[in-house]
Amino acid sequence: MLLPMFEFHEPLSIEEALELKKKLGQNARILAGGTDLLVHLKKKLVKTDNLISLSRIKALSLITEQKDSIFIGACATMAQISRSPVIAKKFTALKSGCDNLGNHLIRNRATIGGNACNASPAGDTLPALLIYDSVALLESYGKKREIPIADFFTGPGKSCIQPDEILTGFRLPIPTDHSGAHYIQLGKRKSSEINVVNVASFLEYDPGTKKVITTRIALGSVAATPIRAARAEAALLGQAPEEASFFAAAEMARREDCRPIDDFRGTAGYRQAMVGVLTKRTLATAYERAKGA
Amino acid sequence: MKEFDIISTRAHRIDTPDKATGQAVFTDDITRPGMLYGALLQSPHAHARILSIDTSKAKALAGVKSVITHEQAGHIKYGVSPARYDETVFAIDKVRYIGDEIAAVAAVTLEIALAAVELIEVEYEILPAVFTLEEALKEGAPQLHETSPGNLCAEVHQEFGDVAAALKECDIIKTSTMKNKRQDGAFIEMQGCIAEFDNRGVLTLVSSTQVPHYVQRTVAMVLGMDVGMVRVKKPYVGAGFGIKAAANPMELACCILARETRKPVKMNFTRKQVFMYARARHQFSHTITTGAKKDGTLMAIKHECWLDGGAYTSFGIATVYYTGSLLGGPYKIANMSYDGYRVYNNKPTCGAQRGHGAVIARALFEQQVDMIAEEIGMDPMELRIKNMMDTGDTTCNDLNMSSFGMSECIEAVRKGSDWDKKKGNMPTGKGIGMACGFFVSGAGYPIYRSDTYHGTVIVKLTEDGGTALVYTASAEIGQGSDTAFAMIAAEALGIPLDHVRLASGDTDMGVDLGAYSSRQTLMTGHATKDAADHAKAQVLEVLAEQLSVPLKELDIKNGFITFAGDTPDFSALRTRYIKEHRGWIDNPDSEHLTFKEASRIAFLEKGSIVGTGKYKPHNLGGKFKGAAVGTSPAYGCSAQVAEVTVDMETGQVTIDSITDAHDCGKAINLTSVEGQMEGSVSMGIGEAMHEEVIFNDKGQVLNADLAEYKIVTSMDMPRIKAIVVESDEPNGPYGAKEVGEGAIMPTIPAILNAVYNAAGVRINELPLTPERVYFAIQDYKDRMAK
Ligand SMILES: Cc1cc2nc3c(=O)[nH]c(=O)nc-3n(C[C@H](O)[C@H](O)[C@H](O)COP(=O)(O)OP(=O)(O)OC[C@H]3O[C@@H](n4cnc5c(N)ncnc54)[C@H](O)[C@@H]3O)c2cc1C
Repeated sequence: MLLPMFEFHEPLSIEEALELKKKLGQNARILAGGTDLLVHLKKKLVKTDNLISLSRIKALSLITEQKDSIFIGACATMAQISRSPVIAKKFTALKSGCDNLGNHLIRNRATIGGNACNASPAGDTLPALLIYDSVALLESYGKKREIPIADFFTGPGKSCIQPDEILTGFRLPIPTDHSGAHYIQLGKRKSSEINVVNVASFLEYDPGTKKVITTRIALGSVAATPIRAARAEAALLGQAPEEASFFAAAEMARREDCRPIDDFRGTAGYRQAMVGVLTKRTLATAYERAKGA
Repeated sequence: MKEFDIISTRAHRIDTPDKATGQAVFTDDITRPGMLYGALLQSPHAHARILSIDTSKAKALAGVKSVITHEQAGHIKYGVSPARYDETVFAIDKVRYIGDEIAAVAAVTLEIALAAVELIEVEYEILPAVFTLEEALKEGAPQLHETSPGNLCAEVHQEFGDVAAALKECDIIKTSTMKNKRQDGAFIEMQGCIAEFDNRGVLTLVSSTQVPHYVQRTVAMVLGMDVGMVRVKKPYVGAGFGIKAAANPMELACCILARETRKPVKMNFTRKQVFMYARARHQFSHTITTGAKKDGTLMAIKHECWLDGGAYTSFGIATVYYTGSLLGGPYKIANMSYDGYRVYNNKPTCGAQRGHGAVIARALFEQQVDMIAEEIGMDPMELRIKNMMDTGDTTCNDLNMSSFGMSECIEAVRKGSDWDKKKGNMPTGKGIGMACGFFVSGAGYPIYRSDTYHGTVIVKLTEDGGTALVYTASAEIGQGSDTAFAMIAAEALGIPLDHVRLASGDTDMGVDLGAYSSRQTLMTGHATKDAADHAKAQVLEVLAEQLSVPLKELDIKNGFITFAGDTPDFSALRTRYIKEHRGWIDNPDSEHLTFKEASRIAFLEKGSIVGTGKYKPHNLGGKFKGAAVGTSPAYGCSAQVAEVTVDMETGQVTIDSITDAHDCGKAINLTSVEGQMEGSVSMGIGEAMHEEVIFNDKGQVLNADLAEYKIVTSMDMPRIKAIVVESDEPNGPYGAKEVGEGAIMPTIPAILNAVYNAAGVRINELPLTPERVYFAIQDYKDRMAK
């Protein structure tokens, strides 16, 4: 399996990259860490004459903290995100997603933008992006748009990103006090694994009323895209954050929200059962964290 | 026990500096002037008739130097066992699995070779295919080989003692089944080779192989050449685990391309091709009935097994015999019957892999031993010790345990794991389990019938004196055999390890059957010791004469000559030595005569000192059909304790620790022994927990890479406590025997017994994916609820 021939472009700025994208259009692919794209090229699943590498554009790999949000550049790697103090402190579910993706070698190259644009239903950072209510920042030549992450994924391997667009990064609102989140991924082995099921949950409770006032639950590997578990969220909202309500929400997620299929990694039946277990467990830990926050 | 200077230490491996610095040369590191690159055309269909092959477009592509099919390669059949040669280099009339080789191209670049392969036009008539045992055995099923009606590749029927009668006397009878999945060896270095003819017509094949000798013979046979005109060399090899223990079609195609083009040709398997070629562990479906008395005496085993063999025989005939012959031991069981069947189908061919044939039978049987212990309320260790063979015992199928530290191994893991405190006291979800196993230290007979020596070794002393050169055709494939033989040579000669240089893996150096069946330490070790003893005797003979000392009073130790009686005046010899080194500043001045001086003097008297050594086992085994398979000059044995945590809600199993004791006879190199023990455990865990080659309904491998074929990662590896139990094996060099394969035997059943202990479920199909364990637990809960 050899890499096919292609022209290699290394723009130094976003503008230059967008110009290239405009010029080459469909016949060019963006290259970030290459951990998906190079594999796909070798396997001949993707054909292209041009690769536009983003690795020299410094602005794309920044992680910056603003007043009530953070910006994560599309080219920030898993290793880099995991090391960021603000992420370790305020976005634990995202850190956990980054820490569990692939292995050390892959985490040094794999980017969050690549993970999102690759749009695998099993992507390790995607449930976290969903529960933190991230906004995807897209740019094409002379144009910018912002897409809520819940609208970003359109199918397996598909996103709403247009051929002339580049994903520049994500904006994540900083979670409020009394909130917490957690992510669990389940596979056959402990590392270098493609998930059988992965779930992230976020919840915020009111310390006065002791009720859940916000919750977002995201399920991976159980539908065509990573999805929000809308019915489970509705079931938990306004409830007391305790085992019984977590269990009820988990049952909702398992029965109503997920739509898994059979494939060689696992059966739909098992995936569905695990949605229940992981939803319950992520909610319980999220609440522990919320209490500590 | 004897005292040793070199062996039984933790000497640094002699290949470590090369490997640590990246200087070790593997096949793909080698290029030759004018070298061409070869590529294979392999069948995209699992079963099809070849109507025509048109190579004209491929030949016309610029840069292509040769395109070969069966027309150039010939129709000579080859395989592993001469009784079952069923392969040709290229398919002639039909293809039998996705990956069956049809043609090959040599071109000036790999890109051109691959492009040319795409230009070869093959017309196929697709035939119905069979992919499972059931499909292959059905009446009217499509047939793979005309010579094997019913797709039955081989069957074995054996009975020792009287199983039916013995079962009647039993108080407890357990029958259960077990199935594993096809494995992949998952060695790091994919197969690769370079073939080259010199101007005199000598073919040199450099290959990533475990068995230069067998490859040499197969190449010579298929190409119609004298064995003496074929040289096979093995550079450093990144493991094989049994898969590289026979000539492969790429090696043969490469040689033919070199013959056609008169240029060096290099070929490599991609990882996907490694999976397509396969030849790793079979899928076994076992049914075993074990009977015991209520005092725990094991009485009889009734064993049936079906092997999913794939398209060709490969090692399969040996596999199906091994599956039966290595079951009864390590226990004293007088009655054992075996019915084994190996079935062809349109998948890649299975072969030999670490623990050849015996691993899954052991995994099932060792669980039954636990079931029996549970039923009679006996500690599983006690029950095993009660039935354990002793040194000198012979199994009902004539395998003799000339040394056997099995009970010591059990005691070692009992203590090492704190078994007595833990067993029965683990909370739900935590479990502890154990198992035993044993394995050959080298197959008693070569793969082809022959009286050949299994290993020959040459030890030559350098003419200046002081350094010993060891030449062996054995195969260092990462297991540390070069180091072991250098240590044995140093020990036998009585010189420091630093003074031994060793070259191996080249058929020009002699005969060695290679690295399979855990044979080299015992067999090549013997030949090495024999050669070193021979060289040493020649040096001492000269000394005895020169110093007028009786030969038997002389010895060599740590590089110095020792005298049993008074040290004679050796100044004349020293003067003679020093005279030849006028101007040198490091001339010997010690009180003792050095080996360096002695071997120089020996050279001056007799010319080059060359010691030769050889080894073949004594006649082994019984007289019945298939009696040869399973025989060995010695058997290694081991016991393991696994501790696990089972997540009762998700079915995820975590292996917390493995305590492993292995009787390897005398450990030549303790660190290497532990390395083999840990490597075996990791392979066993992989097979128990996540490895399986998965096919779609067209016979295509779905997970032909190491991302989707899941070997253990370092994160999955538990803490391993490796305890080396030493016995003194009378048939081994310095008392040594195997550790390479036997150490995998207890791993899977120990884990399965621990999972049962933790979760109350017996799982009769591998691997223990979270999903399989989850459903077993659900099923158990449902049954308990009723
Ligand atoms: C051994 C191995 C293990 C893996 N394990 C995991 C795992 O456990 N979990 C997991 O989720 N994934 C895993 N992956 C997949 C992969 O590493 C991740 O999806 C990774 O995040 C991809 O990022 P990248 O930077 O390498 O993307 P690339 O391969 O460079 O790009 C991926 C796709 O996104 C597009 N793209 C990338 N960046 C942009 C951008 N800024 N704008 C527009 N388009 C863009 C590319 O054109 C391409 O189509 C694994 C891969 C390998 C090889």
